[in-house]
Amino acid sequence: MDDHAGFRSWAREVLAHEGFDVVGEAEDGRTAIRLVEELRPEVVLLDIQLPDQDGFAVARLIGDGSDVVLTSGRAPEDYGRRLAESGHAFVRKDDLNGPSLEAVLGARG
Amino acid sequence: MTPRRWTALGVVLLALGWALGAEAVSISHGVEENHFLDFATGASFFLGGAIALDRRPGNRLGPLMVLNGLSWFCGNYLNVRSGWTQPWLHIVQAAQTGLLAHLVMAYPSGRLSTRFERLVCAAAYVVPMGAMGLSLLTQDTSRCADCPPVPAAYPDFPHAVLAHRFFLVYDRSAWVLVTLFFVVLWLRWRRSTAAARHDLAPLWAVAVLLVAVYGLAPFASEEQNGFGYLIWELGAVLQIAVPWVFVYGLLSTRLAQSAIGGLVVDLQSPVAPGQLRALLARTLADPGVVVAYPMGDGRWVDADGRPVEPDPPDGDRRTTLVEREGRPLVALVHDPALDPDLVRASAAAAGMALDNERLHAELRAQLKEVRASRERIVLAGDAERRRVERDLHDGAQQRLLALSLALRTARRQLRDGEQSLVADTLERTGQELTSAIDELRELARGIHPTVLTDAGLGPAVAMIAGRVPVPVEVAVGDERYPPAVEATAYFVVSEALANVTKHAHATHAGVTIARVGGHLHVEVCDDGRGGADPGCGSGLSGLTDRVLAVGGTLGVESGPGTGTVVRANLPCRVRP
Repeated sequence: MDDHAGFRSWAREVLAHEGFDVVGEAEDGRTAIRLVEELRPEVVLLDIQLPDQDGFAVARLIGDGSDVVLTSGRAPEDYGRRLAESGHAFVRKDDLNGPSLEAVLGARG
Repeated sequence: MTPRRWTALGVVLLALGWALGAEAVSISHGVEENHFLDFATGASFFLGGAIALDRRPGNRLGPLMVLNGLSWFCGNYLNVRSGWTQPWLHIVQAAQTGLLAHLVMAYPSGRLSTRFERLVCAAAYVVPMGAMGLSLLTQDTSRCADCPPVPAAYPDFPHAVLAHRFFLVYDRSAWVLVTLFFVVLWLRWRRSTAAARHDLAPLWAVAVLLVAVYGLAPFASEEQNGFGYLIWELGAVLQIAVPWVFVYGLLSTRLAQSAIGGLVVDLQSPVAPGQLRALLARTLADPGVVVAYPMGDGRWVDADGRPVEPDPPDGDRRTTLVEREGRPLVALVHDPALDPDLVRASAAAAGMALDNERLHAELRAQLKEVRASRERIVLAGDAERRRVERDLHDGAQQRLLALSLALRTARRQLRDGEQSLVADTLERTGQELTSAIDELRELARGIHPTVLTDAGLGPAVAMIAGRVPVPVEVAVGDERYPPAVEATAYFVVSEALANVTKHAHATHAGVTIARVGGHLHVEVCDDGRGGADPGCGSGLSGLTDRVLAVGGTLGVESGPGTGTVVRANLPCRVRP
């Protein structure tokens, strides 16, 4: 999920061609939580900067059924210890593609 | 009734009880004296003391008169001759000499002013009280018919010899005391100015009265006939008059103003900032006096530049406004019982010092304001940087991130031989790039408009006026001004027109910028609903800080329904 429609559509295109089945899109945290409950995806790509609440808070509300991968245009060190403490994988938006996503998911087992 | 008046009333009632009780004791023990005169003498000290407490709070003459009355009646209670109260009554009665001397020497300010005066006053208390104390400790009750039935603390003391020697010393010291007392009065007279000598007249009346009372005492007799009785009655009447002379002196404005003489003397040495209030409080005998200085913009501050309220809502305080050459100089918030003429006279005496302190206060208040505005400017700068970072991140950066994914898609399409799709992808990439460039351009213009630097205020104002949805009449010349002045004028117009767009509901607006003398006048008006508050919302208060920082002033007129006019006045010179 990402509040920038242009980015969402390109991300869907990239991931779809790299073997991922993109089951849903959301533009804010509230919609995201509702969609995750409905669609139960294996992986949730979650932008940290959302218009209604921050991605860390949304990640806590998403249950254990889905692997959350946090994304951002900012560098991971911009978030200090919050990122490490969240326990979620992280992929920079300009580095978003199938292999990098598989790498972080693989690293988490 | 104020709490102070209740206190004075309480003192009167308690004293009345003490006085009536004393006379009742005298009558029941068959003491032969004129009970009415005895009562009237002591009671006049009580009443005079209560009036002084009420009208001249803080002046010690009031309490001294009350204590004099208390001491006066101790003699009556001595007739009871019972228990352990007897020595204490003797001691308090012996304090009367000191109390009377203190009263006279401390008149009219209530304070003893020299070390010599304090020494003589202390002697007037200590010698008679000490003599009484010693005689109580060593007396031989078996040989003395009038002695109280209290056993001496040291009955084995060689009392006869000691008592004799002691009373010889005391007897002579009484003359020494009286002489010293008159030396004090004479010294006071000698160092007083002509006006102050005039003020001391009641004191001399009291001194003459006291001399008359004690000088005539050997001739007085309480037998109800003949010359002796006349002298005795005269003495009693003279003594009744003593407290009333003091009360008259304390209450007459002229004498109250003698305290101002002390203020003038105090003001001859440099006054530390904030000390003036303490001096006025002492002069007016009002510890709670507040000195408020006008800031010129309707605000009032104390000597430290802190805001104060010159119009107290409760009736316990009164405000006296002191003006100089038609301008308010100071507002004194004081006890309503104080004589307004005395308050004005004090302020007049302290005129120069007050003016000085007003300037200090103004400076301090301005310094506080500058500090606060500097802090606001720093905070506004930080907020602005955060806004730019957010705008960059949420706007252009998101588009560039999308572009990186789009280019990756195009590369994959080329690799997979999907030639037909590549053109479409690149088309969309180009659109995304154009949007990113537009957003960056807007952002840069918000940080600082290039048109302002390159072409000056005229074209820059025309550009922002062109974006306002209602017609804006622009009257701005082509002159160039220093960059800081141009930037400030630009942001005043920009913020004011943004408010026209967002809040005013206007149908027309106008911008005028003209240089008059050494100042650039900027005016933005609209015909909207008005009601803008420069104190609320960071937009206008941020502008005020910005305008103040270049030494200018910002005013907002915005009555409900009458539109809004924002005026900035910026000091400037024309740039060649």
